[in-house]
Amino acid sequence: MKPSKACQRYRSVRRNPSQHYLYQESLLLSNLDDSFNADETGDSNDPEQIFQNIQFQKDLMANIRCRPWTMAQKLGALRRAKEIVLKFEGRLTRTRGYQAAGAELWRKFARLACNFMAIFIPWEMRIKKIESHFGSGVASYFIFLRWLFGINIVLTMMTAAFIVIPELIAGQPFGSTASKTIPKEHMASAQDLDTVWSLGGYLQYSVLFYGYYGRERRIGRAGYRLPLAYFLVGMAVFAYSFIILLKKMAKNSRNSLASASNENYTFCWRVFCAWDYLIGNPEAAESKTAAIVNSIREAILEEQEKRKSKNLAVTICLRVVANILVLLSLAGSICLIYFVVDRSQKLEQSEKELTLWEKNEQVSVVVSLVTMLAPSAFDLIAALEMYHPRTTLRFQLARVLVLYLGNLYSLIIALLDKVNSMSTEEAATKNNTSHWIDPTIFSATRMAPEEEKWSTPGPGTGLPRNSTWAPEETSIPAYTLPLSEANKTTVYTQRPQDQCWETYVGQEMLKLSIIDMLFTVASVLLIDFFRGLFVRYLSDYWCWDLESKFPEYGEFKIAENVLHLVYNQGMIWMGAFFSPCLPAFNVLKLIGLMYLRSWAVLTCNVPHQQVFRASRSNNFYLAMLLFMLFLCMLPTVFAIVRYKPSLNCGPFSGQEKMYDIVSETIEKDFPAWFGSVVGYVSSPVVILPAVLLLFMLIYYLQSIARSLKLSNQQLRMQIQNARSEDKKKVAQMVEARIQTQEESSKRLPKDSDLSSQLSSAHSLTPQSNGTVVNLDSSSSRSGRVGTVAQRTPPSPQPGLSSPSSPPPGTSKSRSEQDVNRCLRGPSSSAGDRRENRPCSPVTQMKRMEDVRSEPLFRKDFQQIDRPLRGPGLSAMVSRGPRSRTPRYCIVNERDSRQKTHPTFWPEGHFRMDPLGDLVDMCPRTTQHGASRAPQQGPSPQLSEEEEGAPRRELVERSLHPQCLTRLQGAAHFYVGDGSESRTLAPEYQGRVPFKSSDDGFEALLDRPVYGHRKPRSRNFQSAQHPPKLRGKPKVEPSLTESDSMSAASSSDQQNGGDDRSLQVTRSQAKFPRSVRQLGKRKAISRQELIADLSDLICSNV
Amino acid sequence: MGNKQTVFTHEQLEAYQDCTFFTRKEIMRLFYRYQDLAPQLVPLDYTSCPDVKVPYELIGSMPELKDNPFRQRIAQVFSEDGDGHMTLDNFLDMFSVMSEMAPRDLKAYYAFKIYDFNNDGYICAWDLEQTVTKLTRGELSAEEVSLVCEKVLDEADGDHDGRLSLEDFQNMILRAPDFLSTFHIRI
Repeated sequence: MKPSKACQRYRSVRRNPSQHYLYQESLLLSNLDDSFNADETGDSNDPEQIFQNIQFQKDLMANIRCRPWTMAQKLGALRRAKEIVLKFEGRLTRTRGYQAAGAELWRKFARLACNFMAIFIPWEMRIKKIESHFGSGVASYFIFLRWLFGINIVLTMMTAAFIVIPELIAGQPFGSTASKTIPKEHMASAQDLDTVWSLGGYLQYSVLFYGYYGRERRIGRAGYRLPLAYFLVGMAVFAYSFIILLKKMAKNSRNSLASASNENYTFCWRVFCAWDYLIGNPEAAESKTAAIVNSIREAILEEQEKRKSKNLAVTICLRVVANILVLLSLAGSICLIYFVVDRSQKLEQSEKELTLWEKNEQVSVVVSLVTMLAPSAFDLIAALEMYHPRTTLRFQLARVLVLYLGNLYSLIIALLDKVNSMSTEEAATKNNTSHWIDPTIFSATRMAPEEEKWSTPGPGTGLPRNSTWAPEETSIPAYTLPLSEANKTTVYTQRPQDQCWETYVGQEMLKLSIIDMLFTVASVLLIDFFRGLFVRYLSDYWCWDLESKFPEYGEFKIAENVLHLVYNQGMIWMGAFFSPCLPAFNVLKLIGLMYLRSWAVLTCNVPHQQVFRASRSNNFYLAMLLFMLFLCMLPTVFAIVRYKPSLNCGPFSGQEKMYDIVSETIEKDFPAWFGSVVGYVSSPVVILPAVLLLFMLIYYLQSIARSLKLSNQQLRMQIQNARSEDKKKVAQMVEARIQTQEESSKRLPKDSDLSSQLSSAHSLTPQSNGTVVNLDSSSSRSGRVGTVAQRTPPSPQPGLSSPSSPPPGTSKSRSEQDVNRCLRGPSSSAGDRRENRPCSPVTQMKRMEDVRSEPLFRKDFQQIDRPLRGPGLSAMVSRGPRSRTPRYCIVNERDSRQKTHPTFWPEGHFRMDPLGDLVDMCPRTTQHGASRAPQQGPSPQLSEEEEGAPRRELVERSLHPQCLTRLQGAAHFYVGDGSESRTLAPEYQGRVPFKSSDDGFEALLDRPVYGHRKPRSRNFQSAQHPPKLRGKPKVEPSLTESDSMSAASSSDQQNGGDDRSLQVTRSQAKFPRSVRQLGKRKAISRQELIADLSDLICSNV
Repeated sequence: MGNKQTVFTHEQLEAYQDCTFFTRKEIMRLFYRYQDLAPQLVPLDYTSCPDVKVPYELIGSMPELKDNPFRQRIAQVFSEDGDGHMTLDNFLDMFSVMSEMAPRDLKAYYAFKIYDFNNDGYICAWDLEQTVTKLTRGELSAEEVSLVCEKVLDEADGDHDGRLSLEDFQNMILRAPDFLSTFHIRI
């Protein structure tokens, strides 16, 4: 099992090398596999380990869908994880097993529920169709609509289940009490259209409205407390709406990562986020393209002319005028509504016979008209202002929202005004009729105060009455009955039932909602449909192009439509308490709206020109909705708290305040102790501290948020700093490279590919190191030397210089080795020992420096890679400098350090075998970089990107023996190299992912392979001194890469050596300068080196 | 659910649900969409995991993709060999990544691959040009395109190497307000 699994892993790893970069977990995964294998073979008894393993596998299973693997990999990983879990779970303790089983069961259940719920998501296809036609913006309206629909369903269920149905089932039947009976004088007209239309007659005395509900504390056999339920549900509607809204908002904002306001990616976003992948319709695609082009042009323009302010005075004047106009129209609409409500009341008072229009509709019609027309007016006004379209949109939205709110508020205030007058009236009658039992007096007196009250609607009047009335409360039950009796018998213009202000408010809200619906339908038909028809069919016969000039086709104005939804929902919230069926009505309305709108959009609208971004608007919609909810709750709560419920109708009739029902229930239906507890809890002693606590909590959370923000900022600063440092280094690098390139170009106009390569590589080196000196000394060096030199260059920094200097030495030594293979073996080992001792401490000390310099190293390194890869070496080189990045540092450091596995040795050998062919290639490669590509074929090395690094080291280790033998100075060298090697190895990893698809990727890996080769042949040497080797190996990586062929195959080395030597001779000429530099810096070290070198050379020769 | 078991085994469906962001119903729907693309090619029985590929020409003609300027890239990125021909697994993968439920990181990763036209692991100036040209259907002039590319690199290239690496890209894209909602295909 183990080998197969390992193979599997390798395979999978190879397939998706790139993912490792992104998801380190995947690395983890493979590691885990290792550990797992170990477990299997060895100590599988450690329950903790097993448990962790299983836990890990489970995490993997849970999150596998979030990994960027192909499906086959995911399935494979899943299967394996399941196997592991299955296999090991039995070994755990029972409780854990049960826990796991329970979790599994729960998971299954959740999935089942999820599958089940998916069936009930309505309109999925419809929305999808719209989305594909119009993009996500328009669709967001419908999604919002659907979401509102969901909320209203819940609200409907709440009211239906706890209020309407109990009332219907267990409440007193229709006609049994005064509040549930249509008064006789209205009976005749109860079925007239205008009565029904104005929600009077049967509708008024039905479960639709507050007034119908009975006031018995308990109804039915079960003793259902309807009044209490009514009150609690009324509050629960608000509570639920708040909770669901806030939850949704929190979720959205979590998703949208709203922070980072100071990061500005105008162009990026316009390019990368512009396309709406939802679009699946040629027309929409066309217009989207146009919109993108526009937005890009706009951005370019904005960029080019940094805001030339032209005619500031004029625009400011215009804007001021526009704002004044808007304010005026807002005020006008509010006044109008107030006036209309007032007038309707007066009309009701003064005239008995009212037309349909006068009686019912004027208020709602006026309100609806205003809500329909004003936005267009605002639109026109906005054209005056000449703002940026986005700003215009925001202004427009804000104004429309204010308008809607103003409408609703003026309406509700006017209504409450009326309520006020009604209740004061009532109270007045009561006071006046101290003998309320006498119906005649009651009604007679009533008329008198009535007239006065209209003029003085102030709330103050209500209060004194209440106090006087209070004593009577106890006898309420007795009170209402006789009263209603009296009403039936006596005929007056004002009947007590009419006094039911709650019903009145409910009626008004429902009416408003209905009218609003009608107007919406009408506007959709008129503005969209008929206009569409008109434009479509008449444009042929018209004198101008109807489709593109004046009427055009209607646009779907997302923002306004969304606002309309918000407004509509606000009405529902406002009226739900007084008309429990309002949510149910709203559900119907929303369904209708859904179909109507989607139909209209698909048939006769064109996509909106202005792009209103969906995701941003989502929370924006919700924020508006929340705002609306809060503002709509206020009047309702105010009415509940402030006004006395009407006497003759509704569940709270006869009580002083509606919320008294709660305290009453607590008093009567709960044990005494509970009442006292509640009393304490609601006393200031508890409430004040609670409020204080809340404040403290808020403050605390806020300060935490602030500190988080600060740390956020600091982190960002850090990132920026890091980047700018990198930038500096990159700049240095580029400079160096340019110089070197120039030089090289001067020097080597006619060299072969290889030579050009080398030259480029060399160019880097001169500045950084004195390594060149060595080269000179070793005058007759192979091509390798040149390459070596290249590597060394990477360290331009002073710290590195010392380490870097040795490389040339190494190169020499190598070349020498090549020449004299036989001598090498023994001598190298000795040399290694020598060098290693001094070197190892040094390397550690220099680590820090090395790390810093990494980027540079990499660059060089990469450069080198490139030339090796392709045939056109020179070309690649030129590209090289720019492309490489310091980016890899982090990853590399980590990985490289983690992974020094002795275990890899064997693996390395493994792989080497298949590569046997490569050996042959090597000589060629030296001459022609092109030949490389074919070699890359061998897959095994590639498969493990992670291990690439470690292998590297291995390779290096194996390689370095040569170097060591050659150079006594190698010690220095390898110090520098050490840093290099570390950094380099990681690079492979980092790069590999991207390259996976290309040969390039493989090309990179080739080098390691070559490296291996050498190790093979010389393994015995290196093996002897593992500790020392570690530090040195680093040098080799570079060598391996550049010379890989030469070094790679021990057998071929000799051949390669010849080639190299030729090349070397060519390249050497270029180095003198660099040598000198080195010499200055590291005279001492150099001297030592030289001495060493001379020794080496002697020995070799 | 019962009658659909013939296409996949129960285990297969479970595994697919584990590996994608879809529910059973959606997986079935996707399967039928896939099957519809090439009814004569795709068998109705997947219990034995047949190795079937639907050619890119058919994939690209799906209404969800046919108007997308990047459809070829999408198909290439998600297909196994980068040629745009897709197996059912690839197909599911694609729509899973493009689904609403997929996390930002995943989407960003694949978006990067999609915009990386030459598959070299970086979005270089050439890739950017391609992107812009496709996006605007060549309506921008060459100077404008190059200006845009320059600006984009200017804005997002954190390490100033003249091209966008995955990190640069993620860093940029994850802050985009509407990336999540637009990089999304509803099926």
